[in-house]
Amino acid sequence: MWKASGCHWLLTKADSSMNCIRRTILTLDHSVGCHFFSRAASGHSLWQPERRCLLQSFSQSLRSFHSSTARQTSDSEPLPMVKPPGMPTKTLEPYEDFFEQASGGKRDKSGFSKAVKTFAQRDIRKRGHVDFIYLALRKMPEYGVEHDLAIYNLLLDIFPKEVFVPRNVLQQIFNHYPRQQECGVKVLDQMENFGVLPNKETEFLLLQIFGRKSHPMRKYLRLMYWLPRFKNINPFPLPRPLPKDPVDLARHGLERIAADLSARITVYQMPEPEDLGVDPPQPHIVGIQSPDQQAALAQHNPARPVFVEGPFPLWLRDQCLYYHVLRADLLPPEEREDKEIGPERNFYYPMQLDLDLDRGPWDDYEFDIDEVEEGPVFAMCMAGAHDQATLAKWIQGLQITNPALAHIPVVFRLGAIGGELQLAEHQEHQGQQNEQQGEQVSPKEVEEPSLVQIQRQAQN
Amino acid sequence: MNGGGVLLLRAARAGSRRALGALPERRLAAVGSLRRLLRTGPPCRAYAKELFLGKIEKKEVFPYPEVSLDELKDMQQFVVPVEKFFNEEVDSKKIDHDGVIPEEILTRLKQLGLFGMLIPEEYGGLGLSHIMYARLGEILSQDGAIAVTLAAHQAIGLKGILLAGTEEQKAKYLPKLATGEYIAAFCLTEATSGSDAASIQTRATLSEDKKFYILNGSKIWITNGSLASIFTVFAKTELFDSDGFKRDKITAFIVERNFGGITNGKPENKLGIRGSDTCEVRFENTKVPIENVIGEVGDGFKIAMNVLNSGRFTMGSLVAGMLKKLIGMTAEYACTRKQFNRPLSEFGLIEEKFALLARKTYVMESMAYLTAGMMDSPGVPDCSMEAAMVKVFSSEASWICVSEALQIVGGLGYMKDYPYERYLRDSRILQIFEGTNEVLRMYIALTGLQHAGKVLTKTLDDLRKGNVGNAMEHLSKKLRESVRRKVDLGLTGKDGIVHPNVEESAKRLEENVYYFGKTVEVLLKRFGKTILEEQMTMKRMADIMINMYAMTAVLSRSSRSIRIGLRNYDHEVLLTNIFCTEAYFQNLYNMAQLEKCK
Repeated sequence: MWKASGCHWLLTKADSSMNCIRRTILTLDHSVGCHFFSRAASGHSLWQPERRCLLQSFSQSLRSFHSSTARQTSDSEPLPMVKPPGMPTKTLEPYEDFFEQASGGKRDKSGFSKAVKTFAQRDIRKRGHVDFIYLALRKMPEYGVEHDLAIYNLLLDIFPKEVFVPRNVLQQIFNHYPRQQECGVKVLDQMENFGVLPNKETEFLLLQIFGRKSHPMRKYLRLMYWLPRFKNINPFPLPRPLPKDPVDLARHGLERIAADLSARITVYQMPEPEDLGVDPPQPHIVGIQSPDQQAALAQHNPARPVFVEGPFPLWLRDQCLYYHVLRADLLPPEEREDKEIGPERNFYYPMQLDLDLDRGPWDDYEFDIDEVEEGPVFAMCMAGAHDQATLAKWIQGLQITNPALAHIPVVFRLGAIGGELQLAEHQEHQGQQNEQQGEQVSPKEVEEPSLVQIQRQAQN
Repeated sequence: MNGGGVLLLRAARAGSRRALGALPERRLAAVGSLRRLLRTGPPCRAYAKELFLGKIEKKEVFPYPEVSLDELKDMQQFVVPVEKFFNEEVDSKKIDHDGVIPEEILTRLKQLGLFGMLIPEEYGGLGLSHIMYARLGEILSQDGAIAVTLAAHQAIGLKGILLAGTEEQKAKYLPKLATGEYIAAFCLTEATSGSDAASIQTRATLSEDKKFYILNGSKIWITNGSLASIFTVFAKTELFDSDGFKRDKITAFIVERNFGGITNGKPENKLGIRGSDTCEVRFENTKVPIENVIGEVGDGFKIAMNVLNSGRFTMGSLVAGMLKKLIGMTAEYACTRKQFNRPLSEFGLIEEKFALLARKTYVMESMAYLTAGMMDSPGVPDCSMEAAMVKVFSSEASWICVSEALQIVGGLGYMKDYPYERYLRDSRILQIFEGTNEVLRMYIALTGLQHAGKVLTKTLDDLRKGNVGNAMEHLSKKLRESVRRKVDLGLTGKDGIVHPNVEESAKRLEENVYYFGKTVEVLLKRFGKTILEEQMTMKRMADIMINMYAMTAVLSRSSRSIRIGLRNYDHEVLLTNIFCTEAYFQNLYNMAQLEKCK
């Protein structure tokens, strides 16, 4: 059985490294550029980045062989983008209390490192260090240190040095200290999932702990092969950490969906600080519009209404924002302007060739894309509230830069905030909860205009 | 050419007398030039278009156009005083520094008749042939600002009247324009409209009594904008087309300054040609009588295109003249300045620079006069493509050459006390105005492609019709071509028209032409009319075309020089061979890039 699994492992290394890539892409930046992801993770559920790594299944079979404590939980898996609310904690971990005490109640980096250091100094034999490391890995997001390389190195440092290094060929062939190796891989796995690039110190530690031909070392090498390549792959980088200010956050979100460098962001309304106690509360309104959109709106036929639609969700890493668009319906074909360039257009050279020849099909560089024609989008905004009053303020603000908008009827087609997209594996759970609470999550796709009102704003 | 030559000669003689201050002799001597302007006679095939088919129309370019001895003498007589004037009276440095051409210089230019060079004798101009005009251009180019002022006046400013004006318009305006009493300007460019005709904003609306057009709008970067009293203005007019729909069409107008409502912006501060007068011209409710419409209402686009196309060929000789002067200046420096007890001229790297200067100058001169000769030939020669090639080649060569000349004199060249930096600044504009080199390249390539495409579609159609005879003929032609080892288009060999001394170069040209034809065919079959979108492909085609035309010009010229035994013809042979080799490999490289497109 050992041998067979070993071969399996070797044979499917390639597959696991592909898995590795996919996860790297997913985790280097948790922010969701929709098109970006649909390309990167085709075929997999976007919200389920954790596909069982082969090594894991392999070691699981080992575990049963060793009859070690069954830890077949998914809680050491990388944190998904949406934290499942109200996940019941399973069995109490053995070092839970110890960790709490050692950290001195501080839920930050210093508390975390203090706890880890206390454990490392407690016992020269490092009894139970594997369990402790699993626990620490799980605790990392809670302490906000999941992106901290120093902490990972600190965790690896817990392992006793030179004990698990294979000393002869046989040991090297067979999986030497599998549980410890698996734990080491898990640490690296979590680094990978959070997009933390290991450094030389990590390598040195792994060499000391597991030796050169061990699984964690291979994992390390693989990480060092892929992670630097994908470090800057996201064409829409976001600052890390994300800004806390909703206006700044909205800026980032709008810039991303506009995807136009010439687009200008306008803050129509700053949020009132809460302590001022303004009644009604003043939510922030941030809008974006590009010169092209402005021109398109200026040319819009005032007889046709424009629509304010939304809210639509946009994910920036683990933050969900909602935006609204100002758009119009597609013009019927008979009203579309003929944009063809006539023969008398260019003073210097002809813009048309009078030939019967056409481009050969083998020289058609265009991809075969089915394009759904959509009406134009004139502007987008993010606001602190999704009601019509707030959005009307946005439209009023837009009228300053788009005088034409004053003559165009605006229809508000606002839906309720739909249920957030859920992790598939948590949905069952969620469903149960919902049944218990008697709630119904209305799906976003149902676009029933809850508020339809036509405003003739020319007169105000 | 001979018959016309005598007449031309007379015209020139008469012109030169005028220029020398003699009484204007109103003879019916300008018949030749008149005929040229009226464009009568059989249409002739242009040389350059045929290159796209891989053919050489030898008759068009061989032998090199000549002027008779008498004509030459006349030309000399005419040129000498102008040259003297430019050498002695024009202070280019001051013009450049002050940013204005002094009044007395302008008066002298008018006295010399230089404002009416292209205007026919009967309207009081000199009625020069294109060759003569090109020759004079060589001298005018000693001062960039003056050359540009004169060119804006007659190459484009009054060209509209000359090409498409009515008899009345000509009689009314041309005499005064010829003497320089009126200066003309060409108003096309607007802030929003460069080459895009549709974005012209200036508008002319018909007044209620239908006697006037009311002109409103503003034109920018108008050369002679504040000097001029006659403007050729292009404006949009509303027109009803055959379906009864309203349409905006461009119309050309002759606008006099005293029509009122014309104001000028402040003079532009420019990099080079600082002495020329460039400014914005604004029209505000200017009333233009309907008699002043050039051509028909709505014909403006065609007129603008014709004017622009016809004005370009002179740039070759202008630049050649300037470069020849520069070569003289730098050669003097290189021969007198000594380093390590040797004059600079003995250093190989300096020699190489002179070789470059001489080569480029020789080539562009040959191209310019070949084109001018073609334009002077009877018939309706459409030389716009050739003219564009001359313009692109000479403007780019001038930039390189002036920069190299400046390099020869080293640090001196960088100083404002010496004229080199002025030449450099002045020559930069050449690549921009009269159509930027980019749009001209498109023009060259597209005109040729249109021609080649028509021929190709015809052959394809013939084949498609399934005529066995046609197909067999086509096949056998292909077969013959594949068997034949060497390209022979008839330039060399027993009946060759190229002198054996430059046979090697002629063969290179033939090879280039042949394979260019093949490449064009393949590209056309591939892209069809959408080749319009392949600008980078077309640029390479245009580059090859320009090189091939240049090769033709030097081959033709040097063959003639050898045959009639001109002094120093051995140098010409050398220059020809060097240039053809260089161009041949450039062409090969470009064609290799085009193959990549395949």
